[in-house]
Amino acid sequence: MALLEVKNLTVEFGSEKNPFRAVDSVSYSVERGEVLGIVGESGSGKSVSSLALMGLIDYPGRVTADSLTFDGEDLLRMSARKRRNITGKDIAMIFQDPMSSLNPCYTVETQIMEALKVHEGGNKKQRRERTLDLLNQVGIPDPKSRMKAYPHQLSGGMSQRIVIAMAIACNPRLLVADEPTTALDVTIQAQIIDLLLKLQADSDMALILITHDLALVSEAADRIQVMYAGQLFESGPADGLFAAPRHPYTQALLEALPERSAGHDRLRTIPGVVPGAHDRPTGCLLSPRCRYATDKCVSTQPLVTDYYGRDVRCFYPLDDNGQPTGRNV
Amino acid sequence: MLGFLFRRLGDIVPTFFGVTLLVFFLIRLIPGDPILMMAGERGVDAVRYAQLKAQYGFDQPVIVQYFHYLLGVFQGDLGKSFVTKKPVLEEFMTLFPATVELGVIAILFAIVVGLPLGVIAAVRRGGIFDYTTMTISLAGYSMPIFWWATMLIMFFSVSLGWTPVSGRLSVLYYIEPTTGFMLIDTLLSDQKGAFVDALRHLILPSIALGTIPMAVIARMTRSSMLEVLREDYIRVARAKGLSPAKVVVVHALRNALIPVVTVIGLQVSVLVAGAILTETIFSWPGIGKWIVEAVSRRDYPTIQGGILLIAIMIMMVNLFVDLTYSVINPRIRHTR
Repeated sequence: MALLEVKNLTVEFGSEKNPFRAVDSVSYSVERGEVLGIVGESGSGKSVSSLALMGLIDYPGRVTADSLTFDGEDLLRMSARKRRNITGKDIAMIFQDPMSSLNPCYTVETQIMEALKVHEGGNKKQRRERTLDLLNQVGIPDPKSRMKAYPHQLSGGMSQRIVIAMAIACNPRLLVADEPTTALDVTIQAQIIDLLLKLQADSDMALILITHDLALVSEAADRIQVMYAGQLFESGPADGLFAAPRHPYTQALLEALPERSAGHDRLRTIPGVVPGAHDRPTGCLLSPRCRYATDKCVSTQPLVTDYYGRDVRCFYPLDDNGQPTGRNV
Repeated sequence: MLGFLFRRLGDIVPTFFGVTLLVFFLIRLIPGDPILMMAGERGVDAVRYAQLKAQYGFDQPVIVQYFHYLLGVFQGDLGKSFVTKKPVLEEFMTLFPATVELGVIAILFAIVVGLPLGVIAAVRRGGIFDYTTMTISLAGYSMPIFWWATMLIMFFSVSLGWTPVSGRLSVLYYIEPTTGFMLIDTLLSDQKGAFVDALRHLILPSIALGTIPMAVIARMTRSSMLEVLREDYIRVARAKGLSPAKVVVVHALRNALIPVVTVIGLQVSVLVAGAILTETIFSWPGIGKWIVEAVSRRDYPTIQGGILLIAIMIMMVNLFVDLTYSVINPRIRHTR
């Protein structure tokens, strides 16, 4: 049994009658100790789906799912108190902007010890020692004095290390990292990712890595999931997913990488933007931007189907040469 | 921290001079001759008038009078009341505790009621509770004190008879002032029921006086909370698995309090202004009533001294608020 099983997770905002689906029937699973990479453009529902997993979607947002099972227990069908006992302990999350993730009023020590206090208990001395351990673990130099620091006294990279220490404080079995390096500068980005992967490997913790960085996920992830406009478009083992994309969107994303445009005058782009609440196309959500779209794509929405070991939401999955199949059928 | 304190104390000096200057000249713009006022209905003959004028120094140019006054102030001499002939400082000190007592209870009422209202309204924004409290607080903010106080008296004192109409203590009791604070003095005395009686006398005036600050605090807390609740660190706190109450109180409120504390500090001057009306309506023997009476009698030393002392008090409170500020907000503490 997988550690996390998500079946048809849907997150809706707006009125009941005419809701906006930020996440639309997404299903996936995460095995113990696995790294799942989730990629997609801004507005594709990556963050919202992970917030739903953490139970952080507030009214008026509505979260529904056939099942949202963590370690055999359905998160959506348990009491709020029981769920809080899992949140922060077994499932932890780190957010995009480390500088605003820490409460400006409290010291580093207080904020890390707080997470320990809620879930582990123990006395103050034990918690302080554990905090020191954690700061060492995430590579904070001179942790003893840093413990007394306030967030405004820390750099961005340092803050993200603290945030990570806070998240791994209770030895979570699943860590959700929502674009953990977006707000950091390039030299620090690699360090933070290395740290996350090292922690993941050391403790056999599962990791969901949400990012825009295709190169990063292809290296770091065991499996990759490509999302678009709240829907799952393609998912499968990281090996080969980028080498032979089956979904036209994945292919287009890869072509938009600057290094693939070498020798061209202009960088390749995907024309248009991700549809928002008010400009949803009929049929396949990608159809207005897809170069292979047919009349069928415009009128009918494709379902997720298995295509040679990948989940693909397309009528015409690509073959090994990157050409759409079955268009004449 | 100490440097910060000295810098702030330094800021007080020009304000102090400003207040003396303003009050001294402004009251002399009010029509009415204090000597004629003292003489009353019968009037005074020209010789005696000139004599009195010289006695009080009114025969000298105003600038000279001002410097004489300042000289006195620096020696701790605020002059004597024209009416009672007692030193202004002494009178102030006798009446001041009554006003402080009323003000403290009023601001306590405002905080104890306003803060939770604001917090709950923010947490349940858009709900019935939110709309109700915000409407009530808008009404509370817009209500003139004299009208509100009168309504309170008519309803609770006259119709229901729950609370006394005016004063600080029933005539049944006589309390020798030791601290000047009735609540403390009655507790110290062995007269049974005196404390409760003093408390009952405080209820309506402090509600009347505390309503505007309460409304301001509730609204400020709400908007400040709404802003803070959107912050990333609130989401992080929730992701730690903290209970909603802990997230609100420990993580949100502490940050939201920073602007609220400033507002509470600013309310102190509102309180003093309100105290003048409230004390007059409830016959509360405090400095508000004292100054109003002094103005109608053109009792220059009392007005000058009273307002100067109030100004100093407000400056001290604001200084205290700034110090509190740095306790709540570590960013301020460290930039000094």
